[in-house]
Amino acid sequence: MLSIKDLHASIEGKEILKGINLEIRAGEVHAIMGPNGSGKSTLSQVLAGNEAFAVTSGEVTLNGENLLELETEERAREGIFLAFQYPVEIPGVSNLQFLRTSVNAMRTHRGEKEMNAAEFMKLAKEVSRQVDLDPAFLKRGVNEGFSGGEKKRNELMQALLLQPKLAILDETDSGLDIDALKVVADGVNALRAEDRAIMMVTHYQRLLNHIVPDYVHVLAGGRIIKSGGRELALELEEKGYGWLGIKEDAAEAAN
Amino acid sequence: MKQAPTLSAAFLHPAGSSLPEPLLALRKERGTALVDMPLPTRKTENWKYSSKYLKLSDEMAISLPAQGKTGSSLAVPGYKVVFRNGIMIPEASDYPDLDGIMISRFGDLSDATAADLAAKLDGTLNRNTVQLAGLNSARFEDGLLISLSPNAVMDQPLFIIHEVDADASGSAFPRVFVEAARHSQFTLVEEYISAGSEPVMVNTVTEFVLADSAQVTSIRLNTEGENVQHIGATGVRQQRNSRFASHCVGFGGPLRRHDLQVRLEGEGAECKLNGVVVTQGKQHYDNHTTIEHVAAHCNSEETYRNIAADQSHAVFNGRIHIHQDAQKSNANMNNKNLLLSTGAEIDTKPELEIYADDVKCAHGATIGQLDEASLFYLVSRGISRRQANVLLTMAFINELVQQIPVEAVRDTATKRLNQFFDSTFEEA
Ligand SMILES: Nc1ncnc2c1ncn2[C@@H]1O[C@H](COP(=O)(O)OP(=O)(O)O)[C@@H](O)[C@H]1O
Ligand SMILES: [Mg+2]
Repeated sequence: MLSIKDLHASIEGKEILKGINLEIRAGEVHAIMGPNGSGKSTLSQVLAGNEAFAVTSGEVTLNGENLLELETEERAREGIFLAFQYPVEIPGVSNLQFLRTSVNAMRTHRGEKEMNAAEFMKLAKEVSRQVDLDPAFLKRGVNEGFSGGEKKRNELMQALLLQPKLAILDETDSGLDIDALKVVADGVNALRAEDRAIMMVTHYQRLLNHIVPDYVHVLAGGRIIKSGGRELALELEEKGYGWLGIKEDAAEAAN
Repeated sequence: MKQAPTLSAAFLHPAGSSLPEPLLALRKERGTALVDMPLPTRKTENWKYSSKYLKLSDEMAISLPAQGKTGSSLAVPGYKVVFRNGIMIPEASDYPDLDGIMISRFGDLSDATAADLAAKLDGTLNRNTVQLAGLNSARFEDGLLISLSPNAVMDQPLFIIHEVDADASGSAFPRVFVEAARHSQFTLVEEYISAGSEPVMVNTVTEFVLADSAQVTSIRLNTEGENVQHIGATGVRQQRNSRFASHCVGFGGPLRRHDLQVRLEGEGAECKLNGVVVTQGKQHYDNHTTIEHVAAHCNSEETYRNIAADQSHAVFNGRIHIHQDAQKSNANMNNKNLLLSTGAEIDTKPELEIYADDVKCAHGATIGQLDEASLFYLVSRGISRRQANVLLTMAFINELVQQIPVEAVRDTATKRLNQFFDSTFEEA
């Protein structure tokens, strides 16, 4: 489904991604782990099309199509979804209006009829309950005044609403208490499907107790330095990143 | 030194009119005072950013006749008075006789009432700061007097549709005076619209005098055309515990100037002034507001938003003057500005003069662009760039639009905003 070959990307002239290679097939769950500053969010943002980052070389295809040539909104309509590590607050745009505009943009793209306000409200309420978010949040400004955990659940809710082909979850598990983590894990598991791939960026291994990945990759210093099965996550948990010859935050020092 | 240009004498000849004698006398007196009035230049402090947009040719000195037909864009859900080129058109107006509420065109006033009115006209405005709008008092040919008796409550808003017909060059001088006696309640909607394409000036003054505990809402919507130079002033005087709310929505033009002056003269008086301005192309809009806290224990709350696209130019000047005796004043002024293009210009200037020591006064002004991170977030959800721009721009002013208490005005404003979005944000 997603194929990344020798991807290099930089910001403000500083190279962050230094040759990423990754193959993700439909139905698979890939965990991307690595110390802070290693480039996990950069990779996620580049895949979603954030133009703040410059792709300097390499290629990325989604089902054979050159992803890098598509605008952000086109990528989203082709099925790329990014749950942001730091979702932005947009006062003045209600969450409901935002979500309906998004869902209808996707539906229009697929040649389906737009959902009216009432239909959408019903759907949105269902999905908000699925992530244990009070439907009252739908009326608030997008992420406005949401706690860290509420923002993460709002991101997951969007993934459930939009039913993407590839869901990239950038630390959707961080900053959550045990109960919220369980809710998020259930949500992610609900996303798992034969025709959908999930790329789960996580700093900790604890989410992986709830969501069993098919593959684990360690990203450090802008490169994937090790890949393996789920046992790699356990090994990391036990031995820390030092075992791989990297220190926490070493990537940043290396830059 | 070069002599500053003065107002052409042609502008000081009022048209013949059927106004009662006391009003004719007032016009004459005001006209005399304007002889040799210097026109604003770059050096005129309160016209610094706007004088270059003022283009008064002698052809524009002619009073436009009360003819032609434009038709309001508002589906009027209340009572309606139509002014065409500054003259009331009874056939197009529609309002009932209401208990305790007098609505009368100036031309129909008795000499006694007219004399009483003449003594009050201009009483709400600082004539030194609204020089050009002062021309209205020398030139008005008609006007509307709205007088509410104590406790009178108008059950629906009154719409005044100020149409200007620009089939020929000239000027119109609409005039409105509202007297709200104690405990009366009233909502006035003034819509400024135009037809035709010759260069014209609309020079308009509206005044509100609020007695103790009166409650008045003023809504002002300007959607005049690209040929209309608009110079308007609104003056307000408030007595004890009165409430005044103003909602101004303006779309730009070759020259748009509105001075809003509020005097809080009785303890416990409150005013709330909201403003939304949208400009595009080479348009201009200039809002000058003044709030004078004269008495103690008064509150003022002011929120203005400007959005400027293309090469347009918006100006906001907000002055708060807290007099020495106005202890325990509460004044809040907030002005936010959105530039949608690098060629657009916005000038904002809060001015605070505080002579009392026990006051709460806050002000803030910002100028910014649409937030890139917010745009990225929206488009990453499949929303088109155009729609993302619209959502964020609307978010900037939506709160103020929603506060307008008359649905028909909200609808018209929203329709006009959508036209603005259509021409400003291109389709992907
Ligand atoms: N907007 C930015 N401007 C400058 N440097 C950035 C920006 N975003 C990320 N970086 C840098 O890129 C590197 C990788 O960051 P990031 O991808 O956020 O790492 P991770 O998500 O793995 O913690 C870090 O050194 C970080 O400082
Ligand atoms: Mg990160």
